[in-house]
Amino acid sequence: MTRLLRKLFGLDQWRPVVARQDRRAALSLQYRLFKELITSNDEILELIADVEQKLQGDGLFGMTYVRSRCVNAATHAYRMIQTINKLSYRRYQELYGVFNGIRAGLEHHLDRGPHPIEAPAVYPLSEVDLRLAERVGTKSANLGELRNRAKLPVPDGFAISTDAFLALFQAGQLRDEIRAMEVGVELEDQESLAAASASIRGAILRAPLPEGLEAAILGAYLRMGERLKCTPRVSLRSSAVGEDTQTSFAGQYVSVLNVSNAEILGAYREVLAGLYTPRAIYYRAVNGILEEDVPMGVACVAMVDALASGVAASVDPGRPDSGALVINGSWGLGVGTVSGSVSPDFWEVGKGAEPRILSLRLGTKEIRVDPLPQGGVGPSPVEPALRERPCLEEGRVRELARLVMAAEEHYGAALELEWALDRLGRFQLLQCRPLRLSASRGSLRREAPEEVDGHPRLLTGAGASGGCRSGPVVVASSPEELGFFPEGGVLVARHSSPQFVKVMDRAAAVVTDVGGATGHMASLAREFGLPAVLDTQKATAVLRPGQVVTVDADHGAVYEGRVDGFLAGQAPGGIRRAIRGTPIYRVLQEAARLIVPLNLTDPRSPDFQPSSCRSLHDIARFIHEKAFEEMFRVSDQVADGEARTVRLEARLPFEVHLIDLGGGLAPSAQGGAVCAEEITSGPMRALLAGMTNPELRWWEPRGISVTGFVSVATESLFSPHHDLGQRRLGDRSYAIVADAYCNFSSRIGYHFAAVDAYCSDSLHRNYVSFRFKGGAADEERRARRCAFIAQVLSRLDFQVERQGDLVNGRLRKFGKEILLDRLDQVGRLIIATRQLDMRMGPGTSVDWHASAFLSGNYLFDPAIRPEGAGSEG
Amino acid sequence: MRVIRLLLVDDEERFVETLGKRLTARGLYVEGTHSGEAALALLQARPFDVVLLDVRMPGMDGIQALREIKKVQPLVQVILLSGNASINTAVEGMRLGAADYLLKPAEIEEVMAKVEEAFEKKRLEEG
Repeated sequence: MTRLLRKLFGLDQWRPVVARQDRRAALSLQYRLFKELITSNDEILELIADVEQKLQGDGLFGMTYVRSRCVNAATHAYRMIQTINKLSYRRYQELYGVFNGIRAGLEHHLDRGPHPIEAPAVYPLSEVDLRLAERVGTKSANLGELRNRAKLPVPDGFAISTDAFLALFQAGQLRDEIRAMEVGVELEDQESLAAASASIRGAILRAPLPEGLEAAILGAYLRMGERLKCTPRVSLRSSAVGEDTQTSFAGQYVSVLNVSNAEILGAYREVLAGLYTPRAIYYRAVNGILEEDVPMGVACVAMVDALASGVAASVDPGRPDSGALVINGSWGLGVGTVSGSVSPDFWEVGKGAEPRILSLRLGTKEIRVDPLPQGGVGPSPVEPALRERPCLEEGRVRELARLVMAAEEHYGAALELEWALDRLGRFQLLQCRPLRLSASRGSLRREAPEEVDGHPRLLTGAGASGGCRSGPVVVASSPEELGFFPEGGVLVARHSSPQFVKVMDRAAAVVTDVGGATGHMASLAREFGLPAVLDTQKATAVLRPGQVVTVDADHGAVYEGRVDGFLAGQAPGGIRRAIRGTPIYRVLQEAARLIVPLNLTDPRSPDFQPSSCRSLHDIARFIHEKAFEEMFRVSDQVADGEARTVRLEARLPFEVHLIDLGGGLAPSAQGGAVCAEEITSGPMRALLAGMTNPELRWWEPRGISVTGFVSVATESLFSPHHDLGQRRLGDRSYAIVADAYCNFSSRIGYHFAAVDAYCSDSLHRNYVSFRFKGGAADEERRARRCAFIAQVLSRLDFQVERQGDLVNGRLRKFGKEILLDRLDQVGRLIIATRQLDMRMGPGTSVDWHASAFLSGNYLFDPAIRPEGAGSEG
Repeated sequence: MRVIRLLLVDDEERFVETLGKRLTARGLYVEGTHSGEAALALLQARPFDVVLLDVRMPGMDGIQALREIKKVQPLVQVILLSGNASINTAVEGMRLGAADYLLKPAEIEEVMAKVEEAFEKKRLEEG
């Protein structure tokens, strides 16, 4: 952004036009360095906010993300060190050593990566359990866990490790070949995606396996045959690392069934090729996830020639409190039941020492799928007599229920299990995963009423992803606008775009004019757990930006306003937090310790020095502070009527030091101090007018009787004795001004507020940028205060971006009068916001505070009703 | 503002071709070449504002090339491009005077932004 500011700003206008050329040139050079430093500082802050957000579990990322953030943060920190040393004639050389220590730590984490590669290995299932999950993937690990630790029936088999995948991938030219094909893909073009998918899969199917791997797989297979005393047919299934990576973002997962010994290596490649479906390529490209980030293991188990199979859940997903487990099943293999193409039998079983069958709903079971003699599987019609018979006898149902309960007890969590009953009448468990209970209310197809509790229905469409959420409408007419997408907004668009993926972790819901339940948008919405109503034909015409609506995807409808009755019990769903606990998350967590924490908060503390810097944030903070000092030093040196540094005399809760770069102070201003009247910088005058607005009354005590929210800590800080002369240590702010420009920066402990503005008669150059970060309060209060600031700014026409506790507002290309007015408001905001985090606890309304502020109620007195707003709470 | 003259250096020919086309479409004057040696020869033949330089190339690698470029054309702004993010390479590049360090694959907007920023820097440094 600052790049843009610099462009708009046109720094060359500081070029000397009068005598004393070299002095002004020196100042101009210093100023350029200063701006460079500010740019890097801004970028580091943005990177930090982004990393913090990812650490909270928002959104997916791969190793590419972790690497790029580390490298970018380090690069900017290094650039700041270079710049401050240029600015100060190498006063801060010590920083290089400090930086090198941090950089070595970062390199160490990056080199190790999430998956330290080991020799490719094949493990017999008898040696596998959950402790081996990172080597063999979740599916194999769960099978081993069931078999070896829960002592439940699982077919014999073996697990091919994720290292084998990485070895295959890195051997030969495969990786480069795949990269080259991926680079050529036009993501928006389905045909291009399909073509790339086909050629990449072809390359994998042709690729030779690394030496040793082939022998290891075949050896494991032979030993399995010896144990079973036959030449077994097997099934191969993908087994990726990570708790929830079995969602399609990481790839379309493939099972290859009824494989003979001759085909086993081909089937292995086929499973790996499943990572390259068109949608998986698309998804990874948009999210910057590499295959190495989701290495694939493969579970290879003896094929069960099943009489009947199906899926069981240890808790009824529809009625989690019923105390029942549910089982479905049909004749033959479970393929049809799992994919939903066969209508299965359905049992509800009461859990207990003696499981009781509560109900049975017979399915039609017209089709069955069975292993074919030549390999593979195929469908055939079910004999009419069998169709009407349950595929399990009652005793069998109870037996299966006991297995399900045993598995649930072993895991201590609700599970979903795939089961098969073999020809010898033994149950086998084929797959086990945690059951995700969604808060969605039943079927996707029910009639949407025309009005609910006085809220008219605005639109109907295809409910493509379940759930119900409310939020303000954000019409995305161009991808550029997405940069400003607010947290909790309802994304409204004509049709799907790959760009939308970037905001889906922030959006509350999705509504489009066109598109269907099988398209990209629908599947993305499901992955992100967002309610989606698609194919409304006219959403972009009917919905107005900012209008609050409730999106009820369960009924495919959109209602005006907030329908509270619908929203009750709706959990934020999806995979948003799924990434926590994955290996890649841990790498980011480790690396973030060297990037994010801020230890240097008080510039007056003896610890405020290079040797105390323990993170890149510390380095940036330190340099940012010193940059101002250096600017003052420089400008003192050249001060001979051209540039001056002075202290501002004004009633403010912090001291302000000013540098004038030209035309920012009246010629009459002399000596070490100036008053507000002597400032001739337009934007600085406006900002200062706002900050010194008498209505702010920041010096007054904030009694508990007034606000009801003030903690003891604030009480002591802002006691009546705390006045002009008794500022908090370190409360010092800086401003660099010129006639049409000001850069104001204020840091108090963890707070950081900065204004950068240019206001002239030249419309296209004008801008105001306001940036706010931090606050020592807890996450909730900080978030509320940021939401408050964001809302005020956006009501003042700013374009607002929020990342964690960083708020970034900018206003461009408005006339001078408007910008000066907004700067006045921003000045008030800076002062009024200082103690706000303390009072913005749970239950306080962001809307109310924003309205209070804008109507001049700067003390946020609840007794005063702002225009057009309800009461607080 | 005059047209930015950009030299694109990467041994991956398809990459040079594709990115070159897209940057040309955005109003840049672009020449492409496939080795550090060839880039140096071109820089001695005619002026460029910004060089996008791949780090990993056979023969003279990006870091070596950067060192040589800064000797012959100290004012030209070099942006390093790398498919394999490494802090050490990035820092070494910055130390040798690179304007920036860009990770592949990069979005075209990001490339444009970095190129414009580097060009701006060059104009300021030239005074």
